[in-house]
Amino acid sequence: MDKSRSFKYYTLANENQSQWNGELGPEMGDRRFAYRRQPSFRQSHEPHTPISIHHNDSTKPMLSRTMSSIDMPDGPLLFEETEVAAGGRKGSRGNLSYFYLVVSFFKAIRSGNRYMKRLLWLISLNVAYSTIELAVGLITGRVGLVSDAFHLTFGCGLLTFSLFSMVASQEKPSRFYTYGYKRLEVLSAFTNALFLLFMSFSLAVEALHAFIQDESEHKHYLIVSAVTNLAVNLVGVWFFRNYARINIVYRQAEDMNYHSVFLHVLADSIRSAGLILASWLLSLGVQNAEVLCMGLVSAAVFMLIMPLCKASGGILLQMAPPSVPSSAQSKCWRQITAREEVSDISQARFWEVVPGHVVGSLRIQVKDDASEQSVLQFVHSLYHDLGIHDLTVQTDVL
Amino acid sequence: MSRDSDQGHVVEVRGDIPPRETREIKVCDEAPCGFSDAKTSSKDARERAASMRKLMIAVILCVIFMTVEVVGGIKANSLAILTDAAHLLSDVASFAISLFSIWASGWEATPRQTYGFFRIEILGALVSIQMIWLLAGILVYEAIDRLINGTSTVNGFLMFIVSAFGLVVNVAMALLLGHDHDHDHNHGHGHGHGHGNGGDPDHAKDESGDLHIQGLTFTTHHRPHPHPHHHHAHEADHTQPLLEAHTDTETEPTSKTVETKRQRNINVQGAYLHVLGDSIQSVGVMIAGAIIWWKPKWKIVDLICTLLFSVIVLGTTIRMIRNILEVLMESTPREIDATKLEEGLLDMDEVVAVHELHIWAITVGKVLLACHVKIKREANADAVLNKVVDYIKREYNIIHVTVQIERE
Repeated sequence: MDKSRSFKYYTLANENQSQWNGELGPEMGDRRFAYRRQPSFRQSHEPHTPISIHHNDSTKPMLSRTMSSIDMPDGPLLFEETEVAAGGRKGSRGNLSYFYLVVSFFKAIRSGNRYMKRLLWLISLNVAYSTIELAVGLITGRVGLVSDAFHLTFGCGLLTFSLFSMVASQEKPSRFYTYGYKRLEVLSAFTNALFLLFMSFSLAVEALHAFIQDESEHKHYLIVSAVTNLAVNLVGVWFFRNYARINIVYRQAEDMNYHSVFLHVLADSIRSAGLILASWLLSLGVQNAEVLCMGLVSAAVFMLIMPLCKASGGILLQMAPPSVPSSAQSKCWRQITAREEVSDISQARFWEVVPGHVVGSLRIQVKDDASEQSVLQFVHSLYHDLGIHDLTVQTDVL
Repeated sequence: MSRDSDQGHVVEVRGDIPPRETREIKVCDEAPCGFSDAKTSSKDARERAASMRKLMIAVILCVIFMTVEVVGGIKANSLAILTDAAHLLSDVASFAISLFSIWASGWEATPRQTYGFFRIEILGALVSIQMIWLLAGILVYEAIDRLINGTSTVNGFLMFIVSAFGLVVNVAMALLLGHDHDHDHNHGHGHGHGHGNGGDPDHAKDESGDLHIQGLTFTTHHRPHPHPHHHHAHEADHTQPLLEAHTDTETEPTSKTVETKRQRNINVQGAYLHVLGDSIQSVGVMIAGAIIWWKPKWKIVDLICTLLFSVIVLGTTIRMIRNILEVLMESTPREIDATKLEEGLLDMDEVVAVHELHIWAITVGKVLLACHVKIKREANADAVLNKVVDYIKREYNIIHVTVQIERE
């Protein structure tokens, strides 16, 4: 397990810009949690506040941490505190907290991290653009513009959900949501990925349609709107450029969300670029330009989102976490059964709440009553080294 | 997973350990223990087969009607009919997704998917709800399109006829997908597997006899009469009315919800919602078509009706989305009262504290629990463990419990 550390591109965020350290401090735990390759230009997010591992701050450090990113303050610990305080919340099931969220939404964003602000800008830009387009389309009676406006509105809705999940995921875990709200980020990533899948299918259908019918009349007056759309989306691409990879390894919850937003705007801009290209080619007289371009765009978008789909789907399906390889698992099992008090280990299940936060449960057969606690400690420390802190071990005595 | 092949240990069972525990261990021959034991997996398989059958019939019906509409639309050269055929196509797609989810959720657990594939149901339901929303949006867009482009002469009458036909089709499928929850009622209590708590011959309410053979042993949990579950008592009264109401089944926050949801697989429920939404939309289009037919100048009615009914359709999906979201967020299922559970645990003598209590659902109806229980130093850990596990399984019907015993 002692691979060289030279692959770590991350830096300890100590207000240093453009640090591309090959090495990380010793606090940075485990290489088994794969790193994310960053483009080598400057990493421009220093947090607004000094690093804190507490995820209840609204200014969370993004990519850099002093401790391993899987060292989340245990949701369950907070649960213990909040269970006293939240006794009165029993009946509301999170409705109350959502209300608070709505009320403090903009406040949270204003004090939020820069991605939130960027996303808010992006959403407002999109909303403005789509209302203008809708108005123009309705007034001039051009259906193409109206449909484009609808498409944009769907996209805006999704981005708003992403923003909402960014804000909401900072809530403390409550009685009903014992694992906290971070899953919302994964959900929003999944929803974005789904939307992009739908889009890719609909583009493929459009290409097929154009192929069958051989018509291309509605591309002409959409050029202006396509160009503006492209511009708006390129702004978004620029905002989220740090997530400009297809195969990012996700180390925290927000990674997935930001990545999905990036892919969203990227896919939209590819689509607009495809439209522009298609109409240009058509004006040049190329015969099946539309089919080609739409088909290409559809395939490109599909390829783009597949990794995100798989990753977020995997988390939602409670798949074994990719960050804990099965070799590490079997090694742990061997070490546990090597102890003399332990006779068997079974029902080992691990899953991720959000990327980086692994939860597990185990059953161990112990030979006698007395040595339980020492076995428990041993097992916990073993898995702690792997980065799994939320573990429940049931010791059955034979 | 490394296993002792030492079968002798498994046989050595103390008297007070219920035989169930050793059976679970024996059953786990492969790395991840199968998430359900043999009895429930066959029940699950039966429920799955029933749901799949229903959906399959719905798909076939849809395809038939769709081809009819496509042929008719091409012959009559009407865009309206063709768009309706496209909607039926999306129905088929949505049913196909549900069908796939149901089938996939029966796959065996693998080392990568240690909890089995039950979550696929939930994701499939999410996808089909998204499609409902997408379709509602498309319909609104089409209404606007009709408003801008439409020729008012043919519109009204054609809209009326097409949507009437669509309504008939959708209502037929709604009946198909939703109607027989009366005798699916028996499948409902089956998920409380593993504890033979005595039979309850009180099945006067149920019609089909042979289906509740397995249900017999488990119903005591849900019929409070022979059982001291006072907090279930008031909910039994809701049983019958709950089952009668088609669209209310997903909302009641009682323990009965577990069965009522289980009795109608969430994917079938999603398909039902889809079809229901389509019927509502058809009604809206019919109304609009009739009005336009009567007064061809009031084209705006089309848009208004579509918007209105789209909102209604979205409203019907809200509950299901909420349930899906709750499962996906790993939140405590509504039917389990976590506070009460914790209090019940703390009530036990040897238990000092309970922490890290997590209760979550793999899919509606399959609940898991994990917690750490701190006991007094001198207590017998094993006895307390059994007591705790038994309490949870008995009172709350949670099948998979992992309890870590810590001493002070």
